Amino acid sequence: MTLGIGTLMGIFLSVALVNNLVLAGFLGICPFLGVSRKIDMAFGMGCDVTFVMTISGVVTWLIVHGILVPVGNALGDPEALFFLKYVAFIMVIASMVQLVEMYVRKFFPPLYTAFGVFLPLITTNCAILGACLLIDMKPEYQNLLNATVFAFGGGIGFMLAITLMAGVREHIRFSDVPKCLQGPAITLLVAGILALAFLGFAGIGS
Amino acid sequence: MADGKVSDFTQFREGVVDNNPVLVQLLGMCPALAVSNTLENAIVMGGAATFVVVMSNLVTSLLRHQIKPHVRILIFTLTISTFVTIADLFLRAHLFDVSRKLGPFVPLIIVNCMIISRAEVVAIRNGLKRSLADAFGIGVGFTLALSVVGVIREILGSGTLLNYPVTPAAFEPHLWIIMVLPPGAFLTLGVIIGIVNYVRQRDRKGGAA
Repeated sequence: MTLGIGTLMGIFLSVALVNNLVLAGFLGICPFLGVSRKIDMAFGMGCDVTFVMTISGVVTWLIVHGILVPVGNALGDPEALFFLKYVAFIMVIASMVQLVEMYVRKFFPPLYTAFGVFLPLITTNCAILGACLLIDMKPEYQNLLNATVFAFGGGIGFMLAITLMAGVREHIRFSDVPKCLQGPAITLLVAGILALAFLGFAGIGS
Repeated sequence: MADGKVSDFTQFREGVVDNNPVLVQLLGMCPALAVSNTLENAIVMGGAATFVVVMSNLVTSLLRHQIKPHVRILIFTLTISTFVTIADLFLRAHLFDVSRKLGPFVPLIIVNCMIISRAEVVAIRNGLKRSLADAFGIGVGFTLALSVVGVIREILGSGTLLNYPVTPAAFEPHLWIIMVLPPGAFLTLGVIIGIVNYVRQRDRKGGAA
């Protein structure tokens, strides 16, 4: 296993652009549609997600490789405890979100009021759990550094997608959208075009 | 909706039509986009989600007098992740190919807001019968919505339906490859939601006149 900077850059670019979690992996669609009305909110949400995703990615990796596998080994089968994985993952993410919420409330009160209900909703943001599951599923992320870069890149990719979307939506507000397409429908169509644009990244880093 | 006069069947139909989780409430969008590239995936995913929402509503409804309000979300999440683990292990044992294609989206049912919202809105304050009726409605509605997207994407994108070729030979699916790729999912669902909105707005106008 090489640990060159090139490998890490490859992982980062791959998850942030080519296999963008939102536009190619369909993870985190709910906040992508819900919180992408204004650029500053979208950007703040993206920062939160990046932060929570990186920490959760690392912690869930540590739980799998530091607790579940060794204890399983002691029981005679490394996969003996894997049925606990999902329950453990969701608990880690829920507590991480709680942590970030307290932090933001203390140090960035305006941001906290702006988010309203969305911050606790990061718990049910499938991008976070999805990133943890992807790290767990792919053999190439079996070392901690790769897993960390993957989680961080995934968060940056989410931030990129949601901020781009917010930029487009700020302009759509001034255009004459047919009544039945207003709201989520036009957002999905725009997302489709964005996803089409992101297809252009295919091939980079592979 | 919580009105005691509403029959259980109405509650069921509400989940399928008026309150369809994907097309009207816009919940559970991630799987609706991700695993709707073939009808087979859509049906298996819908079945797994239906199982989870039914079991989670069942348990929540039975425990509704014991659950303290401030820990309810935790209990919901733990209940749901338990049943998702069961569904995941079952799929891996009996439908391995489909389960591999669905990838992380079976475990991701845990964070599907559709399921937790049913526990929160219906199961925690209603009896067993009503909660089950609601869960089946939501499950069937979810499966139907996924299947509609799945049928469109599979026919246009691969020229097949449930892996049988259905389009005339002159139709060249590789020109429509975009439908099985991610953008096709966004575009298809966007258009479907647009149509649903159009019909609903027309109905509402008709009702008011």
